[in-house]
Amino acid sequence: MLKEFVVAPIIRLENVHYSYQSETDQPVKALDGVNLAVQPGEYLVIVGHNGSGKSTLAKHLNALLLPAEGEVWVKDWNTTDPRHVRDIRSTVGMVFQSPDNQIVATIVEEDVAFGPENLGLPHSEIVRRVDWSLDQVGMTPLRHRAPHLLSGGQKQRVCIAGMLAMRPQVLVLDESTAMLDPLGRREVLDIAYRLNKDEGVTLIAITHYMEEAVAADRLVVMSEGRIVLEGTPRDLFAQAGRLRELQIDVPQVTQLAAALSERIDDFPNDILTVAELVDTIRQRVSPRDGRPAPAGAAESPAPPLPERIIDIKDLTYYYMYDTPLQVKAVSGINLDVCQGEILGIIGHTGSGKSTVIQHFNALLLPHEGQVTIFGQDVRQNGIDVKSIRRRIGLVFQFPEAQLFEHYVGDDIAFGPRNLKLSREDVRARVKQAMQSVGLGFEEFKDRITFGLSGGQMRRVALAGVLALEPEVLVLDEPTSGLDPQGRNQLLDHILELHRTEGLTLVLVSHNMEELARVCDRICVISEGRVVSIGSPAEVFGRPAMLRELSLGVPPVTDVIDQLHHTGVLSNPTTVLNVDQAVELLVHLFEAEPGKVTD
Amino acid sequence: MSQFELLRNVTIGQYIPTNSVVHRLDPRAKMLGAAMIVLTVSFITKVVPILIMFAMILLIANISRVPLKYILRGILLGLPILVLVFTIQLLFQGWTEPVGRIYLEWGWLRVTRFSVQLITVGILRILCFIFITSLVTMTSTVTELTHSVEKLLNPFRRFGVPSHELALINMIALRFVPTLAEEMERVMKAQASRCADIDGSQKFWRPDKAARAYLPLTVPLFINAFRRAEDLILAMEARCYIGGDGRTKYVVLKGSRRDVVVVAGTVVFFFLMVLVPWPSARSVLALVGLTGL
Repeated sequence: MLKEFVVAPIIRLENVHYSYQSETDQPVKALDGVNLAVQPGEYLVIVGHNGSGKSTLAKHLNALLLPAEGEVWVKDWNTTDPRHVRDIRSTVGMVFQSPDNQIVATIVEEDVAFGPENLGLPHSEIVRRVDWSLDQVGMTPLRHRAPHLLSGGQKQRVCIAGMLAMRPQVLVLDESTAMLDPLGRREVLDIAYRLNKDEGVTLIAITHYMEEAVAADRLVVMSEGRIVLEGTPRDLFAQAGRLRELQIDVPQVTQLAAALSERIDDFPNDILTVAELVDTIRQRVSPRDGRPAPAGAAESPAPPLPERIIDIKDLTYYYMYDTPLQVKAVSGINLDVCQGEILGIIGHTGSGKSTVIQHFNALLLPHEGQVTIFGQDVRQNGIDVKSIRRRIGLVFQFPEAQLFEHYVGDDIAFGPRNLKLSREDVRARVKQAMQSVGLGFEEFKDRITFGLSGGQMRRVALAGVLALEPEVLVLDEPTSGLDPQGRNQLLDHILELHRTEGLTLVLVSHNMEELARVCDRICVISEGRVVSIGSPAEVFGRPAMLRELSLGVPPVTDVIDQLHHTGVLSNPTTVLNVDQAVELLVHLFEAEPGKVTD
Repeated sequence: MSQFELLRNVTIGQYIPTNSVVHRLDPRAKMLGAAMIVLTVSFITKVVPILIMFAMILLIANISRVPLKYILRGILLGLPILVLVFTIQLLFQGWTEPVGRIYLEWGWLRVTRFSVQLITVGILRILCFIFITSLVTMTSTVTELTHSVEKLLNPFRRFGVPSHELALINMIALRFVPTLAEEMERVMKAQASRCADIDGSQKFWRPDKAARAYLPLTVPLFINAFRRAEDLILAMEARCYIGGDGRTKYVVLKGSRRDVVVVAGTVVFFFLMVLVPWPSARSVLALVGLTGL
């Protein structure tokens, strides 16, 4: 704490207020008296639910927005002073959310040069900086590539290099990992951490991912335009109750530690990482052989599933088929979807999983192999594609990008109207669909679509597919980009439909915790092939395979697996959620005298 | 089967990387040279010099090692224009005096020596245009072209030509072509999943309905494009962009003596083709013993 008096903060916010005009013409208070000092070299993470003001705060750090009241200082420069805008923006580099919307040039190295060019640096200096920056983010081999041929993670690395080329002292990541898959997120974070540690770049990250928050020096929680909590991740995550009120997730490992600390004497509740938890447990329990695995975590074989709705045999599909650029997207896929199940699909971006699900409703037709939907071969002549698409609803990633009608009700009615239903039927279906996603019919049907929040638009898009009354709902990353609360709400609505209407679900997701919790079966796709399919216990019971594919397992599964490998647990067991892990571990501690309060 | 694969048909800036001498020329030299050739071809009115120009362009194509079938594909693109030029010249030039020899007369359709010359020159001229412009785009990347447009326009900046802005707009447009094509594909698939008819099955005599059927595709595309534009503005501002003044350039185009020779060569060709009194095609044919035309 003494440090704060010795080193001058690199960024200071003093009582910053900011409001913006909303669609309904009422000014919305985005920042309401924010005070914050950022120390040089620190790693600061800002979390908060959507609309808490954290992105508005970020845009104040490099004078993209100017405070309506209060002051922002970057080093000795006040951000309202137009003479220092270039100094401020080259000192505080910012990387935004969407990798596609930040790249200006058609060639990687030229994009990196864009910043130094704007600063009017001499040619030799630009060349030196471009070389250095590309090297820092490991993109030198791809420097002549066109950006649209890069993966999401690579694009974000180019964006970081573009900022580094201006030699910033502060790097702000404004939800820069939100649209990336786990692998891309890892790439970006590794670079950011290294810049922070080795190059002394001050790192400020705004994020919904708590794994990123765990590594921070300092964590700031925002709500309603104010900073409501501030401290080390360890201190803050121990206050699980308070965080839940603020709609902030707690890492699964911390949840597990907290649950254990309630049952076991002096078990710490402020554990942040898997390794730490494994160590803590190992210190308290001596390894013993022949400890029986409790029955609760053992896997009961899934009952034979009834009817196969979708049956895919030896599917092979090519992109740019019959052109010189033909690429095999998937090959030899065998997969089925059964009546009433929840099937999870995991795989990296580009693994072919999107190609597979687009065969589920005959958007794509197989080049080789057979796809049978409701007993019909999709390649048969005269097949009713429309009826397939009605019965199998497909919701794309970021489905709010497909909304087009001015009013919410009209947009949801688009599907039913395409089915040429009567006015009354359309209305009834719209009403039903809106209710099942938790949007009141009377309240929302005449609202303007593009004035809704991101989470509401997502639900409107979902309702637009539900209004077709599908029997199967296929969702590609339904919760990506939402904050924890939005994520849970959306997932609850979907699961409710599964429970009450018997809707068959196919969920494509990167969120292993979520999939482990809800799925009946999980299918792993990698490099265009199905590498594993089975119950969650079977699939997550092979953590080594998943790690090899850099897919990972839920943290609790990882903890138990590592305890087994270090000899604390003698039987290999696969747990899928916190409750199972707690049962198993309490059982373990019971064998140690005087450890369990119960 | 591939009704959604839009990129398959997008062949913008078909760069054919054969790394020939032509590829390695400075893009500015290529653009200036091509402009000179276009100018030359526009001035030529006789058959012999245009045949020489055409042969020269084929020679350049040969040197650049671009497969002939790619260049010929360009004719397909220009086919409607070629047919139009051919028909118009055939129908109307037959009665222009002096007619020269009349080859054929049928009703009011008349084919004369003069109209044959015009048709030949007209068609060859268009072929020359198509070939030389596609040769430029096939041997230079879009980025090279963008930079050279900026450089070539730079001297006119003082007269208010926004050379840098034009180049940047061009570059960003090219940058987003694949992104928006992907997005279009996604929106088409999403609306098709909502049972929309997006295969253009609308009746052509109801253009209002056809237009309405495109709204579910165009509205999201435009909204997303605007959103992208807003993001891009922020990202550019965050990188200190404030316009063209005071900017330096990363890409430096370095012309060599070879480039100067090429441009000078095309200028020489211009005077050679336009000022030299070339013999008529008839007299050339007479030399090889074909008389009586």
